[in-house]
Amino acid sequence: MFAHNALRRRICQDWQPAIQSSLLYNPAAMRLAIDTGGTFTDCVFVRDGQLEILKVSSTPQNPALAIRDALAEILKEANGSLDVTCGTTVGTNALLERRGGRVALVTTAGFEDVIEIGRQARPRLYDLFVTRPEPLVPREWRIGAEERVAADGKTLVPLAPGETARIVRRMVRLRPGAVAVCFLFSYANPEHERAMARALRRAGFVVSVSHEILPEFREFERTATTVINAYLAPVMSRYLAEIESHAARAAGKRAKAQVRIMQSNGGIVSARVASREPVRTILSGPAGGILGAQYVAQLAGFEQIISFDMGGTSTDVALLEGERRTTNESIVADLPVAVPMLDIHTVGAGGGSLARFDRAGALRVGPESAGADPGPICYGRGEQPTVTDAHVVLGRIPPGGLLGGAFQLDEARARRLMEKARGKMRSVEAFAQGILDVANATMEKAIRVISVERGYDPRDYTLVAFGGAGALHGCELATALRMSRVLVPKFPGALSALGILRADVVKDVSLTVRLAVERAADATRELRKQFAHIESRGLREMRGEGFSPRLVRIERMLDMRYVGQAYELTVAAEGDFVGAFHRAHERRYGYADPGRAVEAVNVRARLTGATPKPELPKSRRAGANPRAALVEPRPVMIARRRARTAIYDRARLRAGNRFAGPAVVVEYSATTFVPPGWRGRVDAYENMILETK
Amino acid sequence: MTQSFDPTRLEIFKNLFHSVAEEMGAALRRVAFSPNIKERRDYSCAVFNAAGDVLAMGDHMPVHLGSMPMSVQAAVQALRLDPGDVAVLNDPYEGGTHLPDLTMVMPVYFRGARAPMFYVANRAHHADIGGSQAGSMGLAREVFQEGLRIPPVKIFRKGRVVKDVLALILRNVRTPREREGDLTSQIAACRIGERRLAEMVGKYGRREVETYERHLLDYSARTMRAMLRKIPDGTYRGEDFLDGDGIEPHRLRIAVAIRKRGTRVEVDFTGSAPQCAGSVNAVEAITWSAVFYVFRCLLDEQVPATSGLMRPVRVNAPAGTIVNARPPAAVAGGNVETSQRIVDTLFRALARAVPDRIPAASQGTMNNLTFGGADPRHAPRLRSGQGGAPFAYYETIAGGMGARPGLDGLSGIHTHMTNSLNSPVEVLEHAYPLRVRRYGLRRGSGGRGRWRGGDGVVREIELLADAQVGLLCDRRATAPYGLSGGAPGAKGKNELVVNGKRKRLAAKCSFYAPAGAVVRVETPGGGGLGSLARAPMLSTGGLWVKKISPGRRLESRQSRN
Repeated sequence: MFAHNALRRRICQDWQPAIQSSLLYNPAAMRLAIDTGGTFTDCVFVRDGQLEILKVSSTPQNPALAIRDALAEILKEANGSLDVTCGTTVGTNALLERRGGRVALVTTAGFEDVIEIGRQARPRLYDLFVTRPEPLVPREWRIGAEERVAADGKTLVPLAPGETARIVRRMVRLRPGAVAVCFLFSYANPEHERAMARALRRAGFVVSVSHEILPEFREFERTATTVINAYLAPVMSRYLAEIESHAARAAGKRAKAQVRIMQSNGGIVSARVASREPVRTILSGPAGGILGAQYVAQLAGFEQIISFDMGGTSTDVALLEGERRTTNESIVADLPVAVPMLDIHTVGAGGGSLARFDRAGALRVGPESAGADPGPICYGRGEQPTVTDAHVVLGRIPPGGLLGGAFQLDEARARRLMEKARGKMRSVEAFAQGILDVANATMEKAIRVISVERGYDPRDYTLVAFGGAGALHGCELATALRMSRVLVPKFPGALSALGILRADVVKDVSLTVRLAVERAADATRELRKQFAHIESRGLREMRGEGFSPRLVRIERMLDMRYVGQAYELTVAAEGDFVGAFHRAHERRYGYADPGRAVEAVNVRARLTGATPKPELPKSRRAGANPRAALVEPRPVMIARRRARTAIYDRARLRAGNRFAGPAVVVEYSATTFVPPGWRGRVDAYENMILETK
Repeated sequence: MTQSFDPTRLEIFKNLFHSVAEEMGAALRRVAFSPNIKERRDYSCAVFNAAGDVLAMGDHMPVHLGSMPMSVQAAVQALRLDPGDVAVLNDPYEGGTHLPDLTMVMPVYFRGARAPMFYVANRAHHADIGGSQAGSMGLAREVFQEGLRIPPVKIFRKGRVVKDVLALILRNVRTPREREGDLTSQIAACRIGERRLAEMVGKYGRREVETYERHLLDYSARTMRAMLRKIPDGTYRGEDFLDGDGIEPHRLRIAVAIRKRGTRVEVDFTGSAPQCAGSVNAVEAITWSAVFYVFRCLLDEQVPATSGLMRPVRVNAPAGTIVNARPPAAVAGGNVETSQRIVDTLFRALARAVPDRIPAASQGTMNNLTFGGADPRHAPRLRSGQGGAPFAYYETIAGGMGARPGLDGLSGIHTHMTNSLNSPVEVLEHAYPLRVRRYGLRRGSGGRGRWRGGDGVVREIELLADAQVGLLCDRRATAPYGLSGGAPGAKGKNELVVNGKRKRLAAKCSFYAPAGAVVRVETPGGGGLGSLARAPMLSTGGLWVKKISPGRRLESRQSRN
């Protein structure tokens, strides 16, 4: 769709490196973050104290090629040491397209089918033709080992040396690309898993072991997560090796290149660790967006935000409240992933979503998408109306086009084909408005899932709208949810890459303990022991990332519940954590029962090593009048009437400028629509803050 | 059929009502205490208009959803529900289905109006509601033996818990703390539904909301009529059998005639067996649920599941039969077993009309398993006196799905009227004195055919303490049928292993077993579809339709065994 051209912009100056915080961060190295998306690969980097953006076309067949091109483009003038951090979709795509390695699985004998039965439920209730994904490991490749551990960790059936030897022999015959090992209750007693893994590794196999990946209860979720890890290991290590070699080549002979990868939990790790635990990188890309959104919101002074990242085919939403929230109940490609991931909810509605009428006359939008090929009608080849076409018809995306005019839009074509498709709708405009309303309803529902359904009122939050289409929908969506503030960051198209550039090194460790606690003080000693145990493991890993223990910040958390409950709430493991749990329960579910017994189910620790972070500079304040940014006004359909509407060029808006809706703000990689009743201002960091009463 | 509505608004209101039901469900699941609700998700939530028509249901348990309107009706007829009141009920003969399912109904008033504008309701399966057997799912001859029977009463009045009612309920059940937690969560879910609906009316205005309620119901009805139009007119008959009621030694017939003319359909159960001595009697609400489920399956998944769908459908279930039992018949199994067989019977009849859209029989049972006793690992409670804290555990076991035209059936999965999750082994063994010895697929149990039926499951559970065990299963004597020459699925099997000796158990039984005994359940496979010898069938187009002419009972041969 797009010519293979590199588009570069300078976005700020005066970057000062933070204090050196790690042995492995070379202050002389150039720092780069690369976010691979479906259409573009975005790079943000710091050179000569300046933060720059480069966008190159993505290469979906092999995403490393775009990275190679970007590195070549950035470093063509001079080689030098490099510090590259990547957000990657390689893991997600390998899962979605089932292109992972050939995995064998060792389980407790009698439980080989756990991974196939799953939770025994079907994904759709009334679909007689429902299917579920084939297990990643076929039946013949699941081997049962004679062993058994009880719920309290006692060994019921020991794992005999002869049994491990038998299984290793089987594996030698099967020749899998990787082996996953998951025994029942291994979180309570990992001895058997350890012995099995040792034997397999000695025989030269790449092994993913459940108590190393996720020492938590619920065998199906743990097995599935471990298997996904094994499944992705060959793909991911190949990919990362390729990136490392591109980076090394770009750095040149005498310089060093360090490659790190964004994880789904919002932290980064070295390529070496990511190759070993690829399951932790599945939501790598969207995680960068969350970090970016959190950063710009903090600059603007907002702690409580809902991030709204709307791209071409899907939309990612997340709720942040000072801290980023993680969840252990994610589903990716219909498979459960139980390692901590940022709590991101994705829906199949984006700029390219297709609109149609169903048989009984209701208007539907998505989840089918025109994608990049053929794309929306206005791109010149698509035939079916999309959300983007609706915006074009209503005049919200001026025909000047995208990417600073590099990409023209065909409004007449959109209008002509939508006229044919409008069915019984009164007019093309009514049809277009209908498409937007339905798309907004889908996204409103997505935001409700992460807010209202979990006990948070969206009115207390600022909506951070980014991605190619986020700012076109932000204000109307906010209105529907009665949110009164929308923040459109300075560079909506590269926010994910900026987030990645600012990410810290993070290691999550956890263990199921299931400890009854009456009062916090009584359980402290036992918990301290358990925390010390998991933290020593985490600190070892952090040393490998270049952080000595004194440079590591540790957060301790507990998953707690009332005895008898089956799901947990996570609270900080400090002070009166039992009281904190009652309060959290009250807040989330509307009641607490201080008389009821409480248990700590899992201990969790998050180890963080701070990286040097580029900061966006403050701009000098200009006057309130945005006249300098005005371009030719255009008619835009608003509330069924065509009204002359101010169009602003974002590049020429200055800190301190104020304007009122209706207005459209155009910029290089995004468009913002400001409806009547909304007012905009540009803050000191050149974020646009849109507000209504 | 004029389209006087705005298609956009319609879609928006559909989503809004649905998200209210889903939010209620999310709250219920999160707050509840029992694994049965939280891990297994055996609950449902729905939103009703002032007339008691369903506007939206969460994607929960099919057997609950079709029958909830009767709960709302019963509550409204029996009580005056003021703002802030919540009614609870479980009486199968007054709005309920079987006793462990407790339903809560709450009215939603808008700004001082005199009549409610909506009702919200939810239903959850409680692991015990008293009665002669732990788990309240055992053999019985009368509903009185099955547990505590609750007519519509207020458990929440003007925003406060009615303590006497709660105390009365809790005194009659084996695990009161858990029940209290679950009941509280059901009330919380109602209040969340109430709050969300009030917000919605505040935002869109009463008139707009009521207009779109109507449009939504009409839209559902229109969708159903459009689907019915495509089924050839005619009368389609089907019959199938339950193994028995666990008391009398004979099997029980379910018969149906589906008479379809134009855009209307009548579903007539005349000829079904008289109500029986045991507990497999279904009340009318269940039969209604099964019919609703079957016709809902013929529609696109996106269609809003409102009461409007059933407008073109009439159900005739003669009173006094196992599809419309009268008091004091026992009913625990009607909800879980008979409901499945009604679905099998309906699909068998419909296979004659639209063979390219109908699957062979799935396992046709929920394999209900209950354990109860005292857990020696925990200190005894004051009143229970001996052996440890009382426990009651309930689970259902998945089986094979019937083959579909063009697709094999899935293995080890819940089908039709249930979709509850399993309890993880690592949760089960931690919480109860039980040990899972084996949990796997029962290879080769799916019926052979051009498309294979899915395999059932083998599950072995060892008792670590003396316990009362209950089994309520079916398809142990009659196999899940195949269609169009496909073989039937394997029948299920229940066994008890004590000291290494295997003993065959009845499909429905309850007994005391000592610590160390192992209960082994093999669940049925799904039926196959299409004969292996025949050339590949087309799953679309008229060719396949011609192969079965109405009246040629191709598939009935496989089911008799």
